Amino acid sequence: MKTLPAKTVLAASLLALLPTAAATTYPLTLTDDLGRKVTLKAEPKRIISMVPGHSETLCAIGACGKLVGVDRYSDYPQQVARLPKVGDLFAPDVEAMVALKPDLVLVSQYSKLEGTLTQAGIPTIALDMEKYDEVFSKTLTLGRIVNREAQAKNVVLNIRRDIARVEILTRNAVRKPTTYLEVDPTPYSVGPNSFMGVLLGKAGARNVIPASLGDFPRVDPELIVKANPELMLGLTRQAAAARPGWSGLKAVRAGRVLDLPKDLNTILSRPGPRMGQALRGLARLVHPELFR
Amino acid sequence: MSLERTDAVTPPRLWRVGRTAALVAALLAAVVLAVGLGSVYIPPGEVLGALGRGVASLWTGAELSPEDVIVWQLRLPRVAMGVLVGACLAVCGGAFQGVFRNPLADPYLLGVASGAGLGATVAIVAGWPRPLVPVAALLAALAAVSLTLTLAREGRRLPPVRLILAGVVVGSILSAVSTFLILRGEDRARQVLAYTLGDLGFSGWGDVLTVLPYALAGGGVLMLLGRALDTLQLGDLTARSLGVPVERLRLLVVLAASVATAAAVAYVGIIGFVGLVVPHVVRLAWGAGHRVLLPVSALAGGTLLVLADLLARTTPLSQVGVVTTLLGGPFFLWLLRRGGHD
Repeated sequence: MKTLPAKTVLAASLLALLPTAAATTYPLTLTDDLGRKVTLKAEPKRIISMVPGHSETLCAIGACGKLVGVDRYSDYPQQVARLPKVGDLFAPDVEAMVALKPDLVLVSQYSKLEGTLTQAGIPTIALDMEKYDEVFSKTLTLGRIVNREAQAKNVVLNIRRDIARVEILTRNAVRKPTTYLEVDPTPYSVGPNSFMGVLLGKAGARNVIPASLGDFPRVDPELIVKANPELMLGLTRQAAAARPGWSGLKAVRAGRVLDLPKDLNTILSRPGPRMGQALRGLARLVHPELFR
Repeated sequence: MSLERTDAVTPPRLWRVGRTAALVAALLAAVVLAVGLGSVYIPPGEVLGALGRGVASLWTGAELSPEDVIVWQLRLPRVAMGVLVGACLAVCGGAFQGVFRNPLADPYLLGVASGAGLGATVAIVAGWPRPLVPVAALLAALAAVSLTLTLAREGRRLPPVRLILAGVVVGSILSAVSTFLILRGEDRARQVLAYTLGDLGFSGWGDVLTVLPYALAGGGVLMLLGRALDTLQLGDLTARSLGVPVERLRLLVVLAASVATAAAVAYVGIIGFVGLVVPHVVRLAWGAGHRVLLPVSALAGGTLLVLADLLARTTPLSQVGVVTTLLGGPFFLWLLRRGGHD
């Protein structure tokens, strides 16, 4: 094996330390969240995103112009909202997708779309951001896929900075209220290890849901009565008081039951570049005194 | 008299009394078990204390500890609702099987469940407040049954085959409309799904007290009609010649059962197989006479649903409707394979 000149090695290692990344080289092979090895022959130029968070991330890393179609829930930013809609993950309009002649379709591991599209000769990559850390790692992956690695690193830095700003405030909170966050009235909540649960903790709240129940568990109303949280988020006070046995809970009596505003609800449930914003909104509800 | 033929195949009286006593004991045991067990364990002594303090607080207005609240305001009404709904569904199932002389009849036969489902779906998808959901379900269920009755009517008569056919078709159409609405309003799809799978989750005393009069009225009427239902087993012609007003009886049973079922369905959603399976099992052990069949079915249905709900909230099966269908379905098939009991 040929030894590289010392100078080249030094230059290369210095380059690696710099935050800016080199251009992606194609063909690019990577393993997606379905465990498939996918090879992209060239930089994708016509992308369809079937995941709203991915559409947002692509735009944040400067690849908005590559999008030619999105799923019907992708509504942010403005440019995305105007793109052709091709159904959603579970009711995709495959004909409309093929007609857009994409060279890449971003899907989810749950979508079951890859088979049909592969048969149609369209490459697919399945990516999901479920855990907190995955939001960052998958943003970088998206950056590599579309040859915007430097921008992706920047977006990650920005999200981390936004989050750190809120954390500095909430870390010094005098009292961290025990909190129940309801994501669905049947009722479903979030475990502390889900990305929403991590954000709840960073907002200065103590989640009453034990990690053992999983990331997005259906909870027994008894457990909430037993935990007697000081704060409830994601439902109205009337709804909480109307449930059997809930009217005497601390949060209900103190009027600390807050429904999430619609915008906050959307960004909170959508892992991506606006996660810092979601955290700020959440922290404002948990610790209004820190944001005066 | 030909009625004696029915009595001839029923087990001896003492045997039946013994079994009934065992069933009452089973219901009591199920209630005690279900009030004590759950995701929060409360020891039996504590349960009694909590009940006492809960009753006392109605007068004194005293604060209850979280454990007391769980026993008194969550578990006990939930268990009571289980008894009530299970009893309703089983009695209605037994009466329907009798009045249509069809072993596959169940309380949902005439579109009650699909009507209630559609009413609840509309209310949930439109985002109406929770107390209005059962109201919408109840009204839609009764409307669905009226529609079925109107379509099935032939002059002044209500032939069973036409009733069942009309009921199945009305049910399918309403279910299709519900499905369409669920697909359109996806944000709330999970709520609708939870409803259609049957759930006792948020049953409170208020709900129990609302369902109770409908259950008592509907179930009571059906039990009073026991003797007439027995006569109907001999065929419309014989029943008529014995002085039973067949058409009016059929209408009365359908209305009484629909009221009871609709009230139950409105509050807890659609719980499958209780109304189909329980009367069959009871018929095996107690005989086919409706004067015994219906009250015993009520006991057995209540017991079954309380236990199914206990399983639902302590295991990942999580919805009582899933449990009853998973237990009831295979059991029914097993009964069918054993065969020869009808």
